[in-house]
Amino acid sequence: MSRTQRLGIAFSAFIAFAVGLITMLSLLLGDQPELYAEFAGAPLFARLMTLPAAVMARLVAITSAVTIVIGISNLLYVHMGRVVRGAYFSIVMIASFALTIWWYWSKNGDTSLLAAVQVPIESALAALLFLSMVQGGARVLGKRADIWGLLFVAVMVVVLLGSLPIESLAPVRVWSDWLMEIPVSAGARAILLGIALGTVVTGVRVLLGQDRSYRG
Amino acid sequence: MDDSTLQLYTILFVAITILLTYAARVFSARRTRRMSQGRVPGWARLSAWAGEALEAGRPLHLSFGSAGIDADSAPVAAAEAELFYHVIKAAGAGDVAPVISTSSAATIPLCQDTIRRAWDGDERRSRAQWFPGGPRSMAFAAGLTASMQVEDPAAHILAGSFGPELALILDSAERQGQGSFAVSDQLEGGAIAYAMADEVLIGEQLFSAAAWLSPDSTARADAAVQDVWRGLLITLMAILVIINLAGQMQIARGWLILGGALALALAGVVFVRRR
Repeated sequence: MSRTQRLGIAFSAFIAFAVGLITMLSLLLGDQPELYAEFAGAPLFARLMTLPAAVMARLVAITSAVTIVIGISNLLYVHMGRVVRGAYFSIVMIASFALTIWWYWSKNGDTSLLAAVQVPIESALAALLFLSMVQGGARVLGKRADIWGLLFVAVMVVVLLGSLPIESLAPVRVWSDWLMEIPVSAGARAILLGIALGTVVTGVRVLLGQDRSYRG
Repeated sequence: MDDSTLQLYTILFVAITILLTYAARVFSARRTRRMSQGRVPGWARLSAWAGEALEAGRPLHLSFGSAGIDADSAPVAAAEAELFYHVIKAAGAGDVAPVISTSSAATIPLCQDTIRRAWDGDERRSRAQWFPGGPRSMAFAAGLTASMQVEDPAAHILAGSFGPELALILDSAERQGQGSFAVSDQLEGGAIAYAMADEVLIGEQLFSAAAWLSPDSTARADAAVQDVWRGLLITLMAILVIINLAGQMQIARGWLILGGALALALAGVVFVRRR
C-alpha cells in the first residue's frame, strides 16, 4: 500500500471519528439549557450545541433521497443485463417500470396503478407467508431433532391452541398466557439486550474509524 | 431519572466502551492463541456450500435484508458487511461472483464495496442487487425469490434485518435444494430463522460472527468487549434478583450475599470452562 493510500485511509478515519464524535455530543448535550445554567447565554449555547446534529440529520435525509436514484439505476442495470443474457422475465419488470412512470406523468401524479397492483399482490403474499410459516414450523423437528426443537414445537402448539376462541381450551389459554408473559418475554428481552450491546460495540468501532470501509 | 443524569450515564457508557475496546485490542494483540474457525455455528456447512458453489460454477447469495446505513440498523449493516467480507474471502475465487442483495437503497454502496474488497474477479457491478421494499416487505421477498431463480445460488447467507418475509425466502431456498444460513436483529426474523434455516445464529451472535471468522485480533477484541458488558449485565441482574428474593423471603442478608457470591462464582467458572 502506497504512502498516499495510507494517508487517505488515515484522513477518512479521522473525518469519520470527528463527525461521529461531534454528532454524538451534539445529540447528548444539545438543547439542554439547564446543563449550562451557570453560564451567561445558556439558551443560545444550548441551541448552538444542537446545530451539528441537525445539520448531519439533514445531510443524511438528502443522501437517503439520492440513494433512491442509485437504487433505481441499479435495478434497471441488473435487469437489462439479464435481458441481454436471455432472462426475458426481466422485460416484464422494465416494461412495468416504464408503464408506471408514464402513468404517473400522464395522469398528474396518480398512483392508482401502483396501488391497484401492489396492494393485492402484497396481500396475497402475506397469505402465502402464513402457509410457509406453518410448513416451516412443521419441519422444525426434521431440522433440529433435539430437546430444543421439541420445546420450540411444544410452545408453538400451546400458543396456537391458546389463541383459538374455543371455550373448552380455556386451561390451555392459561398456559399460553403464562408462556407469552414470562419465558417468551424474558427471552425476547435477553435477545434485545444482547443486540443492543452489540450495536454499541459496533457503533464504537465505526466511531473509532476501525471499520473495514475506512481501511482502503 | 432526569434527562441530564441519563445523558451523563450514556456518555460514561460510551466512554467506558471505547476504553475497553482499546484495552481489549492491546491485550488481544499480545495473545498468540487464535480462535478456531470451527467455533462458528454452521461454519462447516458454509465451507461445504462454498466448495459446492466453486465446483458447480454457481454463486453464493448474501443478503442484508432491510439493514440500512441510513437507519437505526446501521451497526447491523456494518457488522454484516464484515461477516460477508470473510465469507466471500473464504469461499475463494470461483467463476461466478457472489450476489449481495438489500432492500435499503443506502446499502447498495456498502454491497458494492464489500464485493470490491473481497472478490478478485470481474463482473462485480451487477452483483449488488436492490429490491425496493423496506422493513417487513413482501415485495422484497417476492423480488428476491424470483431473482434467485435466475441466479441459482448454491446457498443463501441471510444476515441482517429480516422480518416475517424471511419465511418466503427460506421456503423458496428449501424447495430448490439450496442451503440457508440466517440471522436477524428482529425477533420475528430470528424465530423464523430458527425454525426454517439450515444453520442459524441468534441475538448478539449477529455482531460477533465476523470475529470468529477473522484472523484479525481487533475483531476478536470487539467481541471480547461485548462479552465483558454482557457478563457485567448478567451479574448485575443476578444480584438484583437475589436481593429482591431476600426481601421477599426475609433471609438474613449475610447468608444471602455469601450464597449469591458462591453461585455467581460457580456460574462464572462453568462459563469460562465451557468457552
